Amino acid sequence: MDALIAKGNAVHPLSHKNSKKPQKETDNTLSSIVKNTSLPKSFQSLKHKASSNNAHNHIANKKLRTQLNRTSEHIATSKALLQDAEMLLLEDSGQMQLEDEMERTWRVGQSEISGSVGQEAARGRKEWKLEGGPYRSRYTRNGRHLGIVGKMGHVATFDWQTGQLHTELQLGETCRDFTFLHDHSHFAVAQKKYVFIYDRDGVELHCLKAHIDPTRLEFLPYHWLLASVGNPGYLKYQDTSTGQLVSSHRTKLGSCTTMAQNPFNAVIHLGHTNGVVTLWTPNMPDPAVRLLAHVGPVSCVSVDSDVTTNGGGGGGGRYMATAGKDGTVKVWDCRNWKGCVREWVVRGTGDPEVEWSQRGFLAVASGGGVNVYTKPTLVEPHHNPRITTTHQPPLYLTHPLPHRPLTSLRFCPFQDILTIGHARGLSSILVPGAGEPNFDSGEADPFEGKKGRREREVRGLLDKANACTCTGSCPSFFVLRSSFFIQPDMITLDPSSIGTLAPPSKLTTTTSVTAVSSELNSAALGSAKSDIPYARLPRYERLRVSGKVDEEDDDEEDEDHDGDGGGRKGNGNGKKEDREEREKRKMRGKGKSLKRYLRKQRKNVVDPAAVSASLGFGFLFCFFPESSPGPGLPSRLLSFLAIRKKLEKQKEERRIEKMVAIGRIEGERKPSALDRFKRGIRRGIEAKTKKVEG
Amino acid sequence: MVKISVLQHDPSRHLATRPGDPTPISRNLNPNMHPFARARERTRAVNAAKLDRLFARPFVDALEGHVDAVEVLAKQPDSLSTVASGSWDGGLIVHNLPQRSRILHVPQAHKGKVSGLCFAENSRLLSCGVDRNVKLWNFDSQNDEPVNVFPGKAAFNSIDHQRSSQLFATASNLVQIWDETKSAPISNLTLPTSTETVSSVRFNLSETSILASIGSDRSFTLYDIRTGKAERRVIMQMRSNALAWSPTLPTSLLLASEDHNLYTFDIRHLNAPNQIYKAHVAAVMSCDWSPTGTEFVSGGWDRTVRIWQTGQGHSPEVYHTKRMQRVTSTLFTTDARFVLSGSDDGNVRIWKAKASERLGIVTARERAAIEYRQSLVDRWKMDKEVGRIARQRHLPKPVYTAGKLKNTMLEARRVKEERRRKHTRAGESKPTAERKKVVITEQS
Repeated sequence: MDALIAKGNAVHPLSHKNSKKPQKETDNTLSSIVKNTSLPKSFQSLKHKASSNNAHNHIANKKLRTQLNRTSEHIATSKALLQDAEMLLLEDSGQMQLEDEMERTWRVGQSEISGSVGQEAARGRKEWKLEGGPYRSRYTRNGRHLGIVGKMGHVATFDWQTGQLHTELQLGETCRDFTFLHDHSHFAVAQKKYVFIYDRDGVELHCLKAHIDPTRLEFLPYHWLLASVGNPGYLKYQDTSTGQLVSSHRTKLGSCTTMAQNPFNAVIHLGHTNGVVTLWTPNMPDPAVRLLAHVGPVSCVSVDSDVTTNGGGGGGGRYMATAGKDGTVKVWDCRNWKGCVREWVVRGTGDPEVEWSQRGFLAVASGGGVNVYTKPTLVEPHHNPRITTTHQPPLYLTHPLPHRPLTSLRFCPFQDILTIGHARGLSSILVPGAGEPNFDSGEADPFEGKKGRREREVRGLLDKANACTCTGSCPSFFVLRSSFFIQPDMITLDPSSIGTLAPPSKLTTTTSVTAVSSELNSAALGSAKSDIPYARLPRYERLRVSGKVDEEDDDEEDEDHDGDGGGRKGNGNGKKEDREEREKRKMRGKGKSLKRYLRKQRKNVVDPAAVSASLGFGFLFCFFPESSPGPGLPSRLLSFLAIRKKLEKQKEERRIEKMVAIGRIEGERKPSALDRFKRGIRRGIEAKTKKVEG
Repeated sequence: MVKISVLQHDPSRHLATRPGDPTPISRNLNPNMHPFARARERTRAVNAAKLDRLFARPFVDALEGHVDAVEVLAKQPDSLSTVASGSWDGGLIVHNLPQRSRILHVPQAHKGKVSGLCFAENSRLLSCGVDRNVKLWNFDSQNDEPVNVFPGKAAFNSIDHQRSSQLFATASNLVQIWDETKSAPISNLTLPTSTETVSSVRFNLSETSILASIGSDRSFTLYDIRTGKAERRVIMQMRSNALAWSPTLPTSLLLASEDHNLYTFDIRHLNAPNQIYKAHVAAVMSCDWSPTGTEFVSGGWDRTVRIWQTGQGHSPEVYHTKRMQRVTSTLFTTDARFVLSGSDDGNVRIWKAKASERLGIVTARERAAIEYRQSLVDRWKMDKEVGRIARQRHLPKPVYTAGKLKNTMLEARRVKEERRRKHTRAGESKPTAERKKVVITEQS
């Protein structure tokens, strides 16, 4: 028996080990060999890098605490390892390096660039001379395939690298926009009346008659939603995996000809003819944001798709650029709509177009050419605060084009190529440094083959085709609507809200007593302690929580209380509410029996809220329930006066304290005879006596 | 002069060099390259949880052959395949699990029920019955006659063999230690004051002279056969029906109690169990540890088999079928992949220990996918939907209603206790931890 216990003691449970004092950081064996050896990074202890485990010390449950500690350690470790992973990014981005201070990158023309980068890279510089009106273009997400559409109905898709043409159609009617669906195997064209979907070989698959007179198309790749907006001013979302029309929003702003998507949160940005830019999610009938961006019509909107820097809401997509027919281009910060970060006036006539690249280059097409601007100067206000409007940021690259109008700009993903659509076809120019060099083959792979494409399609559907509900601490405008398709419900301005803690339930389990006290003590004390398990609540509270109680009487009582308490509730959150309440109360009959009863109940009660409200603080509670009216009256009065006196005294004390703290009044009194017994003085006396003794 | 370079991808780095080669994968872990990563991962977690439930087909097979209810199951400690079962009609079968065949079948091994079974070395088997006999069988020899018979004075309830020695212990109205070579017991172990019926006895697996027994007087007792006396005795609120020593932690002991719970005790601290396992809605009749010591199985009077994780006292995996009656004996196989249950309907059932595990060969890619799915579910189990799917188990209606009723009763009891405390003088009675209520007294 003892042997067993001894054996058991020899093997310490882990908890005992932890409870011992912390072991020495240095391991002798390790330090002796560490000079001559090096562990691989993955084996090295990252504990010192990990956040200290003190964060969870307040948690009483040991198992939970251990688990949380382990999780946070794991997160810290993986974060540290993530930094190491950057070393594996092999490819370098393109760039233009200046060797002389007097040189300027914008002086370098396309011929010089294509001449100096080599034959292979120079293939990105192309001119397509095409008939059939101004052209628009669109790349697939992996940047491998290009689709073009001319106003007169010429549609073509091809692999631009190998030059392999997938399809070429002459639709014979006005085509206003073009977009690939999840990959190059399907594409949608906004034609004169409806949106049509074609497959890679140009076979018409669907005619979406719900999208009437469309002008712009966007495809949200992770949600498999095709969004369109048209001259009637309706924004429509169609699920391309199921074919369902997910939602259609009436913009109420008339015909709309500009649309852009934020690739990081799948919010659709629309620019309207009255200069308003609106942000839309499929689950809300009203725009999430309305912004008066320009004084004239908005001609183009583009959202920053910069993957290199961290934007608002945990992802990218921090900036938005808008161009108006008033000839200005504005850059906005999507986290703060108060005013634009930078604005300038473009030269030339015609509607300016804007487009962001993957590394945050902004291309602006206006009049007779394209200008490219780069990030740090682009999103900083002008160094001279008085100059706001007319000055454009330092130019990175410029390229004149004779073929007006310039109708579309597209950067090719993972390439340094900008494709410009214009009246005479398309021309693509080289913009060194515009494309992200390192693609992730899990997301978009320019080199994927037939099998890879199929795999990605299936995986994309699997990741999408599921019922999801958001447990988001999202902003208040996010409304869950069960009638909608579920996945689009996850589109919010803040995509990182998924997987965060849910907001606290409105079904509180606090009892009425604790509720009142906690309400009065405001949020400072918190209501963490007052959460009582449902099963242990009194019956009435249980009914209240489960919503089975008839709350009418309760409300009335509350209202009365409010009225007497001098507007206890309505201090911070809205006078409007108060007014409504007051009006409601006015409308009610005064002589209701319950009211009478309650009035009687209150007759002998000195309401501390009333007293304290008049004095300015409402923290003291004394109830004096006295039943007999005759002898009770003087005593009540006395007690009332006593309270008042006490409160005044306290107020005075507090005032003096405050003044002392500020330094207006000196807290010291006159020196008194008793001061000699104070510490410092006594020590002096002692020293004196010692001296005498010595 | 301006130095200009333009981004170019080298196709040789991103394309397979030879046909049939895997396509090279390039990674960019920048979070901006992966929009909606969290939302997509959550969707994947929901799918993984659903797949897990979809593949959950735990029932493997039923071994028939007993005429009456199966009373006891025993596994051969050094074999992956051999399991013995004994039934109420005195039948005894030694099964070969992978082949589903019977190595030995004795229809009348004992008169009355076979109450205990255990394996000895060299493919021999000890059985005891209510006919006051212990019989030693050799199941390799295809012989239906016992090798040896040890007559006792009272009906036996349980038997256990010491590993790697000749000794075995039986439980009747007292605990007796026997030697295989001697026909009479070597010693009787009993506490002087006890008049109990000992219902089960088990040797510790690492300190082999330690013996634990449970009795009908709500006690469990620890003996040392070297001193030949009872060392400790613990009286509990309700009697225990089965006990098992942990195979990995030598001081840990598992008790299946009549009060619907299982308890693990650390025998260094017998004043309270270190964990209570609550989920059964009727008496727990049997329990057995997995050889890993991280989980164990229990079978109950509520016709369910439950598989518990050590240290997690709630929401175990639960198995049931329409025709399975009261589960009287359960067993974890020695490879920890299967669970056996013997029940009142006379069948021995084989279940998977992991309900959604795939039997048969699993390729490396499949294994990786399974592990990824598992980790996804584990990571997102706090999510409402994922957690619900992963946690929810369908229960037979009687079990479900019994559980609800039990919950109501316990809640009522707790509320009553609370009210009583509220209306007595403050501080007069303090709430007792549930663990402290289990043990009434500890004697030594």
